[in-house]
Amino acid sequence: MKSTTAQPARPIGEALLNRNRFRLLGLTPDEIIKYFFNGNAVVAIVVLALITIFLFREGAGFFGQNMRNLRIYRLAGLEYVDFIRRQVDEHTALNRALNESRLAQFTKLTAAGKTVEQANEGLTPFDAFATAFGDSVEDVRGVLSDLTEAATAIKQKEQVNHDRLEQKGMLLGAGKAEEAEKITVTPVDFAAETVTLKGAFPAYQEANRQFAAKLGAALASAPAMPDAKLQRQIDAVKAKGQALIAAIPGTERAMQAWRHDEPIPLSRSLTSFLFGRQWLTASFWQDWYGILPLFVGSLLVSLIALAIAVPLGISAAIYVSEIASVREKNIIKPYIEFISAIPSVVLGFFGVAVLGSALRALSQLSFLSWFPGFPMSERLNSLTAGCLLALMAVPTIFSLAEDAINNVPKHFKEASYALGANRFQTIARILVPASLSGIISAILLGFGRVIGETMVVLLCAGNRIAIPDFTEGLGAFFQPVHTMTGIIAQEMGEVVNGSIHYRALFMVGIMLFLLSLAINYVAQIIVRRYRISIG
Amino acid sequence: MTAAVPDSRMKPTDTTPMPSATAANDTTDPGAPTMIEVESLDFFYGKSQALHDVTIKIPANKVTAFIGPSGCGKSTLLRCFNRMNDLVDIARIGRGEIRIHGVDIHHPDVDVIALRRQVGMVFQKSNPFPKSIYENITYGLQIQGVKDRRTLDEVVEKSLRGAALWDEVKDRLHASGIGLSGGQQQRLCIARAIAVEPSILLMDEPCAALDPIATAKVEELIQQLKGKYTIVIVTHNMQQAGRCSDQTAFFYLGKLIEYSKTEKIFTNPAQKQTEDYITGRFG
Repeated sequence: MKSTTAQPARPIGEALLNRNRFRLLGLTPDEIIKYFFNGNAVVAIVVLALITIFLFREGAGFFGQNMRNLRIYRLAGLEYVDFIRRQVDEHTALNRALNESRLAQFTKLTAAGKTVEQANEGLTPFDAFATAFGDSVEDVRGVLSDLTEAATAIKQKEQVNHDRLEQKGMLLGAGKAEEAEKITVTPVDFAAETVTLKGAFPAYQEANRQFAAKLGAALASAPAMPDAKLQRQIDAVKAKGQALIAAIPGTERAMQAWRHDEPIPLSRSLTSFLFGRQWLTASFWQDWYGILPLFVGSLLVSLIALAIAVPLGISAAIYVSEIASVREKNIIKPYIEFISAIPSVVLGFFGVAVLGSALRALSQLSFLSWFPGFPMSERLNSLTAGCLLALMAVPTIFSLAEDAINNVPKHFKEASYALGANRFQTIARILVPASLSGIISAILLGFGRVIGETMVVLLCAGNRIAIPDFTEGLGAFFQPVHTMTGIIAQEMGEVVNGSIHYRALFMVGIMLFLLSLAINYVAQIIVRRYRISIG
Repeated sequence: MTAAVPDSRMKPTDTTPMPSATAANDTTDPGAPTMIEVESLDFFYGKSQALHDVTIKIPANKVTAFIGPSGCGKSTLLRCFNRMNDLVDIARIGRGEIRIHGVDIHHPDVDVIALRRQVGMVFQKSNPFPKSIYENITYGLQIQGVKDRRTLDEVVEKSLRGAALWDEVKDRLHASGIGLSGGQQQRLCIARAIAVEPSILLMDEPCAALDPIATAKVEELIQQLKGKYTIVIVTHNMQQAGRCSDQTAFFYLGKLIEYSKTEKIFTNPAQKQTEDYITGRFG
């Protein structure tokens, strides 16, 4: 009895155990699968962390270098000379306006049937005025070019010293003390050097007096213009010329108050990057690393793209999910999603070869000339790039918005129809509000897609590093811009590793990174917080 | 939507002769005027036939219950009455006619939106919009363009009282309708349906997702409403059909098997299949 009750227990227990299970390195298949996916996730996180660290490590050096850059700008007196340069630049801009207005008059005269000689003859009084206007600044320009040379020389000395110091440091680091001793560094005496700059002040004052007198005389002799539009242009030039004269005492006071050793606050290193309106590199005079023109360019192009892509993408999503028949759906959906399969360089190529010219041809049609900013002066501008980026954003916005609308529980829709709502009312009052969070995040992710896009903007945005002239209203959308992504792609290949320019590009990369991060984060928050609870 | 009935189930597999539905129909109460009249209706989802030659007359201001096993076509028929099946691409009517107040609802001149205002519907799953209680009730009026605040206020109170929900929610009319309990949500949906003053109320298993207490309240409400509305209710719950309805129709495999007064169906069914179903022998 004893044995019969004990014996059957054993085989049952044995059956529960499987000692011959397949094992690899002591792991069962289940564990292998688990570690495989685990490992993948870890690799992704590690890579992301490495990229982030690398970005910040390379970019962080920018601040020190930029600080030095700004300090030398002041110490070597470049800042001092730039007071005069600004004055001359403003004058030059006015001169350009006069040239443009001459061209306009000339075309007008020839269009009226005059020969070239007759037209030129008719413009003689204007030319006399323009010449007088242009010449008035000559004395100031003379002072400027002398001082430019002097300041550049100071900066040069400092640069030589800096290079020597670096060399010495390297030699010392390599243990070659003797050779290091041979390199002599005499610090630049900025106080003494800038005194010579300041010594030119009386000459400058004299030049200013001449400038004011000549400019005032020239402005008084401005001829009357043949039509109201040109007259307005000339009046604007005259007003600005007077303002130039009026600004002279202020400039002189500022120059007298200027000191080469005035300390520069540390924060300037950051603010000059974030809010600097100039991105100027490899210049003979002074380099500026201000992200603003690039940021505004990126933003402008993205806004144009979204303005086109959002209505298209969302109405397509509504159409496909609510109105289209099954057959239409099966055609439209793959087509829209296929757009994202087009390589961006191909789109950019299309933009350069076709779209840019087509848009400009369109803007030159005479019956569209009432539109602000038409005709466009540049073939490649933010509109060209924006149109193509819109094409790239449409699939993103469409797919996500369609998902969001499809995720609205069907019974909301049924309840609406059962209450006698028509299709439009159901879409506008039930479906869109219920899926709004999804639609907004679709737009945000579309924005993220667009602002990070590189190839299309590099090829089609025109790549002029300048903040568009917003005084032109809508015309600002037809001006060439450069973008944050574009500048990195364009300049990274040429910069010296470790130079300030190199680090500035990394800083631009960091800004892009933070921007995308913020966009994605906000999109996720919106989806999570405003997701409708299904009762 | 009711899932399409599998093809195999549509074939007349059983060999017992099935009496025509019209014959079983004769026991209808002749006194009540007819509100909905269905005549030899064949209905298809794609190629599979969901309703076979259904003929039924639904009396006005009574509660009519549709019973039968899942997939028997009772919900499909219900959804024909307000043409909700129009929303299903593959749904179509093969033959026959549905008349409400004597009007063929598939006639080209019929305005489907006006039809749905006349024929309200309450769904199996309570489906208040993700809006406030107030907005839920006024939705039907607002899409008709009613903007006057006082009218809307009145309708909200009247409908909520009508749905026996007023006392529970009068202090939080602007809170979300989704925050209510399941039973309250279902009564809110009933209030929303009666706010547009329909003459017919279709209920597609309105208590399927409710607990017994909430179910009792909804059933009580149905009793109160039946004087004003013609109510058609689809239910799986035999006791519910017995408690609430005046007339009961039993469907099986897309056919109307038996239709008569509720007491008769439950006490003395004419058809063997009906008896088998209500006694729980199948289904």
